[in-house]
Amino acid sequence: MTAPVTAGEPGERRAWGWVASLREGGTTPWAAWSGEGEARGRVLPGAQQLELLRRLNEAGHPTPELVRRVLEASAPGRGRPDLELVGAVDPGPFGPRPVDPADLPDDELVRVATSVLADDLAAAALPDPAAVPRRPPWRHRFRLVGDPWLADAARRALVERGRAPGGRGARVLVLADDLGAMLADAWRHRVLTEGAPPWRDWLADTVSRDRVPPRVDVARALDTWSGRAGRDRVRLVLDPAALPRLTGTRTPLPPAPVLSADGAELARRTAPVLGLLALPERRARLLREAFLPRLAALGGPPLGVPPELAGWVRGRAERVREEVLAAGYPVVGDVDRLLPRLREGAREPSDAGVLDLAVRLLLAGDGRDTPTRTEDHR
Amino acid sequence: MSAKVLLHVGTPKTGTSYLQDVLFRNQRVLAQHGILYPADRFDAHFLAALDLMRLPWGGLEAEAVGAWDRLAARVREHRGTAVVSHEILATASRSQVGRALESLGHGSGTEVHLVLSVRDLVRQIPAEWQENVKHRSTLSYAAFLEQVRDPARESRIATWFWGVQEIPDILDRWGHDLPPERVHLVTVPPPGGAPEVLWQRFSRTFGLDGIDLDLHAERANPSLGVPETALLRRVNRAVNAVVEPAHYRPLVRELLAHQTLSRRTRSPRLALPPDVHPWAQQLAAAWSQEVARRGYDVVGDLADLVGAPPLSRWSDPDRPAERQVAGAGVEAVKALLLENVRLREEEARLHEELAETRRALDRSYLRPSYRLREKVVRRLQSGAAGRGALRVYRRVRGRSSRSA
Repeated sequence: MTAPVTAGEPGERRAWGWVASLREGGTTPWAAWSGEGEARGRVLPGAQQLELLRRLNEAGHPTPELVRRVLEASAPGRGRPDLELVGAVDPGPFGPRPVDPADLPDDELVRVATSVLADDLAAAALPDPAAVPRRPPWRHRFRLVGDPWLADAARRALVERGRAPGGRGARVLVLADDLGAMLADAWRHRVLTEGAPPWRDWLADTVSRDRVPPRVDVARALDTWSGRAGRDRVRLVLDPAALPRLTGTRTPLPPAPVLSADGAELARRTAPVLGLLALPERRARLLREAFLPRLAALGGPPLGVPPELAGWVRGRAERVREEVLAAGYPVVGDVDRLLPRLREGAREPSDAGVLDLAVRLLLAGDGRDTPTRTEDHR
Repeated sequence: MSAKVLLHVGTPKTGTSYLQDVLFRNQRVLAQHGILYPADRFDAHFLAALDLMRLPWGGLEAEAVGAWDRLAARVREHRGTAVVSHEILATASRSQVGRALESLGHGSGTEVHLVLSVRDLVRQIPAEWQENVKHRSTLSYAAFLEQVRDPARESRIATWFWGVQEIPDILDRWGHDLPPERVHLVTVPPPGGAPEVLWQRFSRTFGLDGIDLDLHAERANPSLGVPETALLRRVNRAVNAVVEPAHYRPLVRELLAHQTLSRRTRSPRLALPPDVHPWAQQLAAAWSQEVARRGYDVVGDLADLVGAPPLSRWSDPDRPAERQVAGAGVEAVKALLLENVRLREEEARLHEELAETRRALDRSYLRPSYRLREKVVRRLQSGAAGRGALRVYRRVRGRSSRSA
């Protein structure tokens, strides 16, 4: 541990001077800072919090409220504790070593940012769930299954139009896309629901088991639903433009939200923290209805399959295509859409990109929501 | 506002489960003496700690939402002495400590006392590895020791270990705002001593002397031997991907580790390797000196922190005696079979109960009055007027049997 120095020693005064400058919007790195200041708190904020504030100052103009929240935040979950500034305290024989904040990995700053972002989200107001209009008896009866990202988005849009799925004798529409995109969809869906390991780990695990997640296992879905509803009621839908016709609506459906690789990773890391601030049902809605639109609005390259796993994905997709053709399931669209296509995008999220996104979100949300911890919000 | 709060923040593996069990089960007796232990479930303070520190814990965090604020509110409402106790609080950050102390009334007239129970590193290091294994870890003992001894302390294992075990640092964070006489260090006696000594130290520190408490333990966190821990680590490797945390806790940690494998007390005990032993003892000696210098209230003896000398025959859990592991494996299989038998019997009982319910339902269907009502409903449903009449009837009746 670093032995605490006597209040007023030069190192500590220098640290408090830096804190004051950062509070005023300063961007000077700690190593280049030489001014001094008076203590303005119980303890010096941690190096992670101070460096995150410096990055916020570089990117914009955080309000005093956001400054306070960042300086008071602790990194959630397991990981490195709040660290002392090197040169501010005498390194003693106990405790973690002091650091130069500029040497901290982006990942450490993201940890602190997720805590503040989770507070923002927990304070967000959600609209009352809209009343579902009555379904007319002459409606198209359908059920949307398959790729959860596509199916959820389509289902939501249809429900808003009074075209809720379900009903006796419903036609089962198995939504699918190329396997690379569907794997990314399945992971993103899991990120926003039950939580997920990092993209690479999740994908490597999927490949090592040689089994795709059930929701995007097209052949299995077709098989299961054929057995349950009858083969004549099942369609594999590979053409999103055909969905309005199949579901009995005239206007095109909005596309599924585009969540970038970095956005998905930030959501993955923020969601568990939100789990300590909101009950599961509200947490799910906050992620879907508040966080997802904010992340999607900031754009960024989508997620793709790393080159070393592309071979497995292609082989698996070709096998599924052959199974679908051999079984003779009705297909809406071109069955070749099941095969991986060359797409621009990131092979995995980057820590720098995630931090940049977090900083932009914090600045964009600054003043929008007032974090409170009332029972009503849980 | 509580007049006095005794805040026990660690460390793990120092008899905390036993203490918390006694406090939880004796809440009524304690209340008669003006002592509040605010817990409506055994793990209430654990959940509060998760909430305070924003620590996800295998899904349990959903039950922790708002738990710290509720706990602190109950403490503030109490007029006497309140006790808060959980060992993972040891790892709280400085800002979390500030929030915790303020919410418990520090600075508003409440006399907050910090309690830290501590045990020698010679036992704590292997115990922490074992705790990791009981929480699904597959890390070898050698890798664990390497990470713990790495001066950079950047791994998750190292940050957690030192966060909950480095006594001077914990006291820096938690005791920063408190005078030394309100910081109480309870040392765990060396192995082989009378088991009641630790309780006596806790009792004195928490002001429980003279109160007639039921000290029968229902919950504890028992230790495993070398082959048992090795077996559990192998089990983790096999089941981590397929057994969800919600099932792992009751089946692996409780049934296998705590209720079955911990009873094998004759197998070799986990210990530090001989080459690591001197390092741990030197570190503990430095901690003792530092703690003595700071002038805290020590309940017990700081010499307890030095730990026992190395074992003459050290057993490596990364290379256990396979016969012993096999023996532990047979015990584990037996326990799982017995549990399976219990579940099968329960399943059969539930099947019988369901069948009996179905039979009773069928009997009610056969009653003439039911058959007549059914006939009337069928006839009414065949025409528009009848359906309308049925709707009106059901609305007036106000039952949930309306068509969806």
